[in-house]
Amino acid sequence: MREPSTSRARAQRLDRLMAWIISGGGLLIIAAVLGILVFIASQALPLFRPARSSARATVQVPAAPGAWLDEEGSALTLVEAASGFRTLTLPGGRSLDLPTSGPALPWQTFTPPTARGEVAVLGADNRLAYARFRWEKPNGEKDPARWTPDLTWNGETLVAPGLDRLFQARLIEGSGLGGVPEWRAVGLDAGGGLLHLSGMPDESGTPMAWKPLALPDNDRALAAVWGADGSHLLVGTRQGRLLLLEPENAEPLRAVHTFGEPITALGFALGQVSLLVGGERGSLGAFQVLRQDGRTRLDRLHTFQPMTGAVQGFMPSLRDKRFLAWSDRQVVVDHLTTERRLFQASVEGVRSGMLAARGDLLAVLDANGKLASWNLDAPHPEVSWKTLWGKVHYEGYAQPDHVWQSTGGSDDFEPKLSLVPLLFGTLKGTLFAMLFALPLAVFGALYTSQFASYRLKNTIKPAIEIMAALPSVVLGFIAGLVLAPLFEAAAIQVALLPFTCLAVGLILAPGWARLPRRFRAAWGEGREAVWLLPVLVMGLGLAMALGPWIETTFLRGDFRNWLYQAQGITYDQRNALVVGFAMGFAVIPIIFTISEDALSSVPKALSSASLACGASPWQTAWRVVLPTASPGIFSAIMVGFGRAIGETMIVLMATGNTPVMDWSPFNGMRTLAANIAVETPEAPVHGTLYRVLFLTALLLFALTFLLNTLAELIRQHLRKRYESF
Amino acid sequence: MMNLRDWWRRGSAFIWGSGALLTLSLVMITGLVGYIAVKGLGYFWPRPLVQVQGPEGPVLGEVTGREPAHGGTPAQIQFRVGNRDLYGQDFRWFKEAEISGWQTPSGAVLVERMEYGAFVGFVQALQRDGQPVAQGPGALVQARKALPDARRLRDRIQAMEKDRIGSVNTEMEALRVELRQAESARDAETRARLEQRQAQLQASYDRLQAELDHLRAESGRTTVLLSSVDGQTQELPLAGVVRLVPSNDLGVLGKTGVYLSRLWEFVWGDPRESNTEGGIFPAIFGTVMMVLIMSAMAVPLGVLAALFLREYAKQGWVVRAVRIAVNNLAGVPSIVFGIFGLGFFVYTVGGSIDRLFYPERLPTPTYGTGGILWASLTLALLTVPVVIVATEEALATVPRSQREASLALGATKWQTMRQVVLPGAMPGILTGLILAMARGAGEVAPLMLTGVVKLAPSMPLDGTFPFLHLDRKFMHLGFHIYDVGFQSPNSEAAKPMVFMTALLLLLVVLVLNLAALNLRRKLRARLGGSTF
Repeated sequence: MREPSTSRARAQRLDRLMAWIISGGGLLIIAAVLGILVFIASQALPLFRPARSSARATVQVPAAPGAWLDEEGSALTLVEAASGFRTLTLPGGRSLDLPTSGPALPWQTFTPPTARGEVAVLGADNRLAYARFRWEKPNGEKDPARWTPDLTWNGETLVAPGLDRLFQARLIEGSGLGGVPEWRAVGLDAGGGLLHLSGMPDESGTPMAWKPLALPDNDRALAAVWGADGSHLLVGTRQGRLLLLEPENAEPLRAVHTFGEPITALGFALGQVSLLVGGERGSLGAFQVLRQDGRTRLDRLHTFQPMTGAVQGFMPSLRDKRFLAWSDRQVVVDHLTTERRLFQASVEGVRSGMLAARGDLLAVLDANGKLASWNLDAPHPEVSWKTLWGKVHYEGYAQPDHVWQSTGGSDDFEPKLSLVPLLFGTLKGTLFAMLFALPLAVFGALYTSQFASYRLKNTIKPAIEIMAALPSVVLGFIAGLVLAPLFEAAAIQVALLPFTCLAVGLILAPGWARLPRRFRAAWGEGREAVWLLPVLVMGLGLAMALGPWIETTFLRGDFRNWLYQAQGITYDQRNALVVGFAMGFAVIPIIFTISEDALSSVPKALSSASLACGASPWQTAWRVVLPTASPGIFSAIMVGFGRAIGETMIVLMATGNTPVMDWSPFNGMRTLAANIAVETPEAPVHGTLYRVLFLTALLLFALTFLLNTLAELIRQHLRKRYESF
Repeated sequence: MMNLRDWWRRGSAFIWGSGALLTLSLVMITGLVGYIAVKGLGYFWPRPLVQVQGPEGPVLGEVTGREPAHGGTPAQIQFRVGNRDLYGQDFRWFKEAEISGWQTPSGAVLVERMEYGAFVGFVQALQRDGQPVAQGPGALVQARKALPDARRLRDRIQAMEKDRIGSVNTEMEALRVELRQAESARDAETRARLEQRQAQLQASYDRLQAELDHLRAESGRTTVLLSSVDGQTQELPLAGVVRLVPSNDLGVLGKTGVYLSRLWEFVWGDPRESNTEGGIFPAIFGTVMMVLIMSAMAVPLGVLAALFLREYAKQGWVVRAVRIAVNNLAGVPSIVFGIFGLGFFVYTVGGSIDRLFYPERLPTPTYGTGGILWASLTLALLTVPVVIVATEEALATVPRSQREASLALGATKWQTMRQVVLPGAMPGILTGLILAMARGAGEVAPLMLTGVVKLAPSMPLDGTFPFLHLDRKFMHLGFHIYDVGFQSPNSEAAKPMVFMTALLLLLVVLVLNLAALNLRRKLRARLGGSTF
């Protein structure tokens, strides 16, 4: 036999152990539950981290007027008039030879290398050619010693002499006959006059001619570029004007914009839509060419913080809308859309600036061959508080707007991540749902708690609880595949239904009132809801009979055509009304249950006192019970609101999910919750879209948590107040 | 009339009005459930095959829809004409005025095929090796008789493809990974052994393949010759026929037989034709598995948390705040849990598991992608508040005097919990479990991010080691509704399937909820009746 004391000790040990396990487990669960919030926040917050940069070791290289940096930052390509291309590995400075080809050395003039490593060259033999430089990296090899340089020449053509300085020359792919690239070049003659050239490379040996272009008011061009499609020329002048010219036109000047200071540099951001403009006193701006109503104009998109010194040049990132700009005293990286300065550093005597393709590495080369470079860590420059919530002037748009468009077809597509249309859609859907659900649920609850007989109550409450359990995917399916076509085909009938029911009710009411009082007391009171069933059926019948007649008589036979022609409203099949109806269905039971609880628990003393004073049951319910329970009903509404805000499947299935901002009940919308469901599977992990989606999740979490907590606090307060009775 | 004015003034009219709104809500609920039930259950009943003279020739099919004349467009009738491979579409609309000569020809048959949906037409002959065995009216009878044999053959072929060849393939894939490891480790001995094993496997694979080829050839020997109403003929292997339904010649008993057989296939069969035909067994199975795994996670943890909150923690404002937080977590949108599950379970936890335990399979993820485990865990988080709330409620119903009696007898706190409190709270905990299951079964949005797919190649539970594959993706009834109804290219044909699936899901959720409701009512009755 065991000693009783050991058995007791074991029981106590077990007790302590279990206390420990339960406390630990309980705390763990609670920590996990709160950890959800922390994790979601941790995924979203890096969006707002400021850009960070770190300087790399400065390297001495041969001085050269043009330079291009490899995307790994481990090889530099120098361009010189006397010797052409030369490459260096960094930081060792080992020189690699390049096959000599292309126009004859020494070159008369050449353009600074573009972000893609392209240089246009005018050789001593008056040959113009386009060089594209890149590295062959076998199997993604990181060691530049194993890379081989690859230089290809394109579009070689003989041009007429007379050019002194080349601003820009490029080949427009496939625009000429048979897909042959066409030349577009612009530069200055020795006297500072603007020259341009366009056309296909000449094969016969006759040189292509430079055509002079006179500027208004004897202005002098300081910088010039061809527009992306090669139809217009953008020129910055000494008098501080930005000109839009169509050289092929008899009257070439299309538009003028006064910039305010001599324009010393022009360039494009990624996508060749936004024109970057830099001035002599350091002003920086971005413009777009906008064709509207047959007119062409220059539209100022953005203004950036000014730089120190005269702006010398630009280089865009090939990944997003950030760009590098350098003056003789400073180098900066700005983001086009957010106008945010991601990087700035003061450097004296800069000759050329370089931004690696991914935009995470930049370098400047000065006149003495000193190469300074920095790493730049700015993973989400396109997101700021302003782009998420404010109106943003995007490329191609006439004015600033709220836009959500996260993915596009092309590589240079810019994600537009405004949360306003999504929040708008959420509120719109919720509003329509509440408009539908609120009267049904609150009045239903009032009836159930105050007037329904005990037996009726016992049928209603489980029925409503069952309604709460309906999976939202089933509701969404019914809404999308049954209700949406039904509403479309029988919009008038649906709209008529409340009125016909009311009419039938009013017609029958006097009849009911004439029935013997005893019969009414015995069969009517507490069972009104049951008696109304035939009224509803008759109302439905009347609506169905009247609908087609109204449509043919007043609406020219077809409601949707009438809506469009007479009111200018388009009718989407899956619209806010359908969503409101289906989502209302989902929130009715929630509002009903909580309201009913609040109404039922109003102390009997209050209503008895009211009835004893001679008030009718309705007067008691409306003036005494309802006001007393109003905080409870308010909390019910808030919980319902929270449910509607986060509803996903119904919205996903019953709307077209287009992020438009339009209050029309006949149009669809996209909500925050549906947006998460639609976009998250496609969002690259830890990318900007991924983090923005987590931000919207955080927003939903916070919103519903707030609403529910408030509702709970009100309910607790109410409970305490009722206890005093 | 005095009476009426009084009736209005005293507000009875408003009582009627609020009653009307309630009636409307109730009518809508019953209407919705009833509509789904009728639409879903009615679909399997064989409908007469109607032959009419259309504007471009004879038409044979089931009448599936009618649209009354509406604002200038005349009345129209929708026929399910089948024969997608011949006509390009299953359904056609005809203006009611353009068709004539309604009849229901005897011998017309709806052939449910493994591919291309239904064939509507007539059976001309039953053939074996190209030679007619039966022709004319007898052919249909003979074909229906021969159908079970053809089906058995088809099942054998399928079983072989799926199980035996499948397991050889799995082993080969595992071997390939091992071989790659051995190669990189330059372990010649292991490599030789593995290569030998590979050769053995290849041999058994070839043997199975030969057997399979033989079976396939055998199944192609018996064919039926079919003709459509407009005279096009088609020869179809009998093994490719699921069912021959001569609707016009069947009596009520025969129709019931077809109905039950279709219902059986729906519940136990695999989906065909991108989920628009066949059964939904994998979706049912996936839902059940997911709910079970979810409950296994949510219930113990929820009970633990509730015990802590009500019995062990010091009651104060912190516990009250935590309780509110937990309650409100039930109101947080499910999609938020979904994106959390994706970011945390799939990418963070799953990605780490892959890096630690399955580096040889990277970059193909094993646990670093959606799967049944992650979906279940996500839903467990979603439903844990339900369990906590229900358990707390149940713990509160256990009278204080019982605990005190137990403690006074010298029992420790845990002994009191185990012997007195928990048994007393059991019905409440069960209610919580059932409610959590109901909520979990009906949720779709979080699953879409954490591992549900439209068609899973293999189930999360099967005969290959280790039998329970928690990393696999799965199918789900709710997602099936969304996918087939909204993402399917042939959603018109799939609509009845969606109704049926919705009905099934509704049934599962409603039965679970009713059970919970009953349990809770009993619990409350006990509480109300107690004299403590």
